[in-house]
Amino acid sequence: MALFVVFQTTFFLTLLSLRTYQSEVLAERLPLTPVSLKVSTNSIHQSLHLQWTVHNLPYHQELKMVFQIQISRIETSNVVWVGNYSTTVKWNQVLHWSWESELPLECATHFVRIKSVMDDASFPEPNFWSNWSSWEEVSVQDSLEKGILFVFPKDKLVEEGSNVTICYVSRNIQNNVSCYLEGKQIHGEQLDPHVTAFNLNSVPFIRNRGTNIYCEASQGNVSKGIEGIVLFVSKVLEEPKDFSCETQDFKTLHCTWDPGTDTALGWSKQPSQSYTLFESFSGEKKLCTHKNWCNWQITQDSQETYNFTLIAENYLRKRSVNILFNLTHRVYLMNPFNVDFENVNATNAIMTWKVHSMRNDFTCLCQIELHGEGKMMQYDVSIKVNGEYFLSELEPATEYMARVRCADASHFWKWSEWSGQNFTTLEAAPSEAPDVWRSVNSEPGNHTVTLFWKPLSKLHANGKILFYNVVVENLDKPSRSELRSIPAPANSTKLILDRCSYQICVTANNSVGASPASIIVISADPENKEVEEERIAGTDGGFSLSWKPQPGDVIGYVVDWCDHPQDVLQWKNVGPNTTSTVISTDAFRPGVRYDFRIYGLSTKRIACLLEKKTGYSQELAPSDNPHVLVDMLTSHSFTLSWKDYSTESQPGFIQGYHVYLKSKARQCHPRFQKAVLSDGSECCKYKIDNPEEKALIVDNLKPESSYEIFVTPFTSAGEGPNATFTKVTTPDEHSSMLIHILLPMVFCVLLIMIVCYLKSQWIKETCYPDIPDPYKSSILSLIKFKENPHLTIMNVSDCIPDAIEVVSKPEGTKIQILGTRKSLTETELTKPNYLYLLPTEKNHSGPGPCICFENFTYNQAASDSGFCGHVPVSPKAPPSMLGLMTSPENVLKALEKNYMNSLGEVPAGETSLNYVSQLASPMSGDKDSLPTNPVEPPYCSEYKMQMAVPLRLALPRPTENSSLSSITLLDPGEHYR
Amino acid sequence: LPPPAHLCLLTLLLPLLSSAAPISPAESISQAYSLALYMQKNTSMLLQTYLQYQGSPFSDPGFSAPELQLSSLPPATAFFKTWRTLDDGERLSLAQGAFLALTQHLQLVRDDQSDLNPGSPILLAQLGTARLRAQGLLGNMATIMTALGLPMLPEEDTLGLVAFGASAFERKCRGYVVTREYGHWTDRAVRDLALLKAKYPA
Repeated sequence: MALFVVFQTTFFLTLLSLRTYQSEVLAERLPLTPVSLKVSTNSIHQSLHLQWTVHNLPYHQELKMVFQIQISRIETSNVVWVGNYSTTVKWNQVLHWSWESELPLECATHFVRIKSVMDDASFPEPNFWSNWSSWEEVSVQDSLEKGILFVFPKDKLVEEGSNVTICYVSRNIQNNVSCYLEGKQIHGEQLDPHVTAFNLNSVPFIRNRGTNIYCEASQGNVSKGIEGIVLFVSKVLEEPKDFSCETQDFKTLHCTWDPGTDTALGWSKQPSQSYTLFESFSGEKKLCTHKNWCNWQITQDSQETYNFTLIAENYLRKRSVNILFNLTHRVYLMNPFNVDFENVNATNAIMTWKVHSMRNDFTCLCQIELHGEGKMMQYDVSIKVNGEYFLSELEPATEYMARVRCADASHFWKWSEWSGQNFTTLEAAPSEAPDVWRSVNSEPGNHTVTLFWKPLSKLHANGKILFYNVVVENLDKPSRSELRSIPAPANSTKLILDRCSYQICVTANNSVGASPASIIVISADPENKEVEEERIAGTDGGFSLSWKPQPGDVIGYVVDWCDHPQDVLQWKNVGPNTTSTVISTDAFRPGVRYDFRIYGLSTKRIACLLEKKTGYSQELAPSDNPHVLVDMLTSHSFTLSWKDYSTESQPGFIQGYHVYLKSKARQCHPRFQKAVLSDGSECCKYKIDNPEEKALIVDNLKPESSYEIFVTPFTSAGEGPNATFTKVTTPDEHSSMLIHILLPMVFCVLLIMIVCYLKSQWIKETCYPDIPDPYKSSILSLIKFKENPHLTIMNVSDCIPDAIEVVSKPEGTKIQILGTRKSLTETELTKPNYLYLLPTEKNHSGPGPCICFENFTYNQAASDSGFCGHVPVSPKAPPSMLGLMTSPENVLKALEKNYMNSLGEVPAGETSLNYVSQLASPMSGDKDSLPTNPVEPPYCSEYKMQMAVPLRLALPRPTENSSLSSITLLDPGEHYR
Repeated sequence: LPPPAHLCLLTLLLPLLSSAAPISPAESISQAYSLALYMQKNTSMLLQTYLQYQGSPFSDPGFSAPELQLSSLPPATAFFKTWRTLDDGERLSLAQGAFLALTQHLQLVRDDQSDLNPGSPILLAQLGTARLRAQGLLGNMATIMTALGLPMLPEEDTLGLVAFGASAFERKCRGYVVTREYGHWTDRAVRDLALLKAKYPA
């Protein structure tokens, strides 16, 4: 057993060693390590291109091999990619393989190594991996030109939404580098101190001129350089949509599609996508010159089925769509031709047309569209080459447009274009009687009937209405009916009929014939039935009217009214079983009163007025205010009246009036309420609810107060327009009383004056009889009779009452008295003034009898003494010194005394003198002023005044005031008059 | 461009076309100066229109990248003393060289833009007009140099080797530099010609 075990072990060991030997021999025989590995770069595609050979391959033998490739970046240990590449290898073959780098090759050194293994069935197991080739280093950086900053990849073309890695190489690590994509900073990953990479995910399409990405190197704030790239982002190529082909003539196939977005880029980086049409059965291909259609020539008549592939292609992508079809199923007919109409009459026509013949036994499906009167009808018909269709149920005198299109009936693909033509049907007689109404004006002896009718609708006119026939037939007396023809487009006519019943028939006529007649009967009785008017309220929609049904049979009702402002009679027919209707028309205007009359039509077609309604579609506020008169003005009241205000012509039913009163009083008068006006001021308001009450007595007013009043009507919509207030001022309470007193007084005075006038003679005689004239006196005649020539009647004018003669007489003694004032007195008193009471020579016409009047103002004592001496009153003279001057000397003395103010020279016997001289002597009131103000007595001698002074009054007080009175008497200004 | 401007431009370009009659230096300087002044009015509008079509950051308000330069285009900036002490020949040669380069660059930018912005006739028209004016100014300068008896610059391809594979962003930058430098060189030409005008009064 042990021996067996030893044997067995030896066997296995031998086997194992044999096996080991075998493999070594194989490996030795086939050292399949890749050799001559060369790596090159392609900057445009950012790819590494590897080429190598495999030594020791059997001659003329192909072997399947697997190559494992490792790619490291920056350093060999940093493996970024490992992959297998399987291929068949021939003897002495140079193998090629490419790898595209995400990171631009310029930014990092790459290392590549490769190993292989046999993967061929002819070489059974075991297979071993060869050794790795040595690392092959690829560095593009070394080839960079001079510069401080480089950005890669340059001008790369990518599709929108793809991921791109960009990088920069900065020669100087001192520089701070910032990178931006379209002005927005991007942040990357530093690969080594000089290199930073940026992964841009899902890059967007910004513009077809490319996207700028740039980096700026700077130290501090100093820019050292700018470098960038343009990334060309292409839109994703879309699959062509709606690809289809069709033929119109079996010679050309016209293929169309929707190309979608154009992916062309600027800088010639990518042109617009190209389109190629490929037909698989024939194997033919055509490059399309247009981007959305292509024509394919049909060359073989036998080919019925086509398999088209449309290929869209740009630098980045290829897309295709496929259609498979039978040519006969893609027939797009040319539009029909020779469209025409035959046997056109009022309601029918035959339409004919032709289609282009495609082949024998070809059937078309055609569609006809008939447009007319705003309607459209559609008919389908199957034809061969010549089409024909009978159009019926047409409207007379109507223009129609008919058009037709066709398609292959056996394999419907699509309709052809339309071909159309217009035609007009012929006229027919109007189909309906015109709608007729009338208005009747009854006058003595006849009726004036105005007939109105509405034009027939196009549907019923069946052509152009040329005239209306009106036939008037007397129902009471057998007579010939009268026919009137009224040319269109008149819509009314006036008839004057006598007091008989008449039947009126109206027909509308066109070129073909007359319409059915519309019949109206005018009764002999005038239409003077009194019907009360009822007020109704309109709404936005119109007027809702209802009425009591007429007893007896009616064939219908008619409501008529007048349109404003055209004043055109309008009417509406209502059925016999209806007793209400809504009149709605756009013609209703707010603020206009509409009067509606409702008639019942009897079976005899006689209209009978049933009801009257009046109302506004919308009531408005009154348009004007009344003109208010103020009368009966008293101190406590006045009356306002506006009798001439018309309530009927207003844009609403007047409901009453508002009377506004403004006064200074805070409290409103009784019956008035406080109100605030639109301008914010307060006033009092009185409401009158009766529109016919057009006067108001405003009482309880204060006299002599100002009031402002304003009267405005109101409707349901509001008051009249704002206007100014009228001012009323109440008069004074007493003035009225005065009037009450003064008026009768004036009347009385007038009466008296009239009486006086009438009785003037009597009054004169009673109150002031005439003074008898002495010349006319009977005494005179008596005197004449006695013939006494000496006796005459004196004339008052002949009498000179008195005169003063002034006589100059020198007086030497006076000089001594004057003393020191000698010179003055000499000049002044050389001609003393003597006053005589003598008649002047001039005025004295001659010697004659004189009637003397006594001057009773002189003191009786003085006159009694018989002297005419003048004694001036000396202001300083004490009463005891005043004495009666009995001689001219005395008078002179007195004068001197006065002038010279001498003392103690008045004679003792003068104490009883109380005469005041008429002579005004110039004198100074003040003795001190005398020398400076000399007076000239001769010129001053003048008669001034004569007055008698009672003794007690003539005694002046010993004051200077007394002298003032003298000055007043002897004002020097008076002298030189 | 309004019609009067066209006419004006035509008269300014006239000496370029009719080079038969000798023209005095003052007259030719005056004509060139007028054209340069006229050009100056439109340079900022060209730059703004250009930037507006390029997207961010170019179209951002206040965009400026003075560090961007083109090796094929001489910068217009110069030290004042150096510039002021240039003799007539140097001054005109520098300007002529710059505008020669500018005409070629403007054509390049217009080509670029007709590819990128085919739907922007305004920008393309403005670029075309700018190139025409630069050519007009070149002609005027040649007349001045002839009048002053200065040797003419041999016409050369200043653009040199163009990187046709330039990326879109690089082309946008290139266009920016060209339109910007066109403005700067026009400003400088106005100053140059003003100096000459003062030196050679009519």
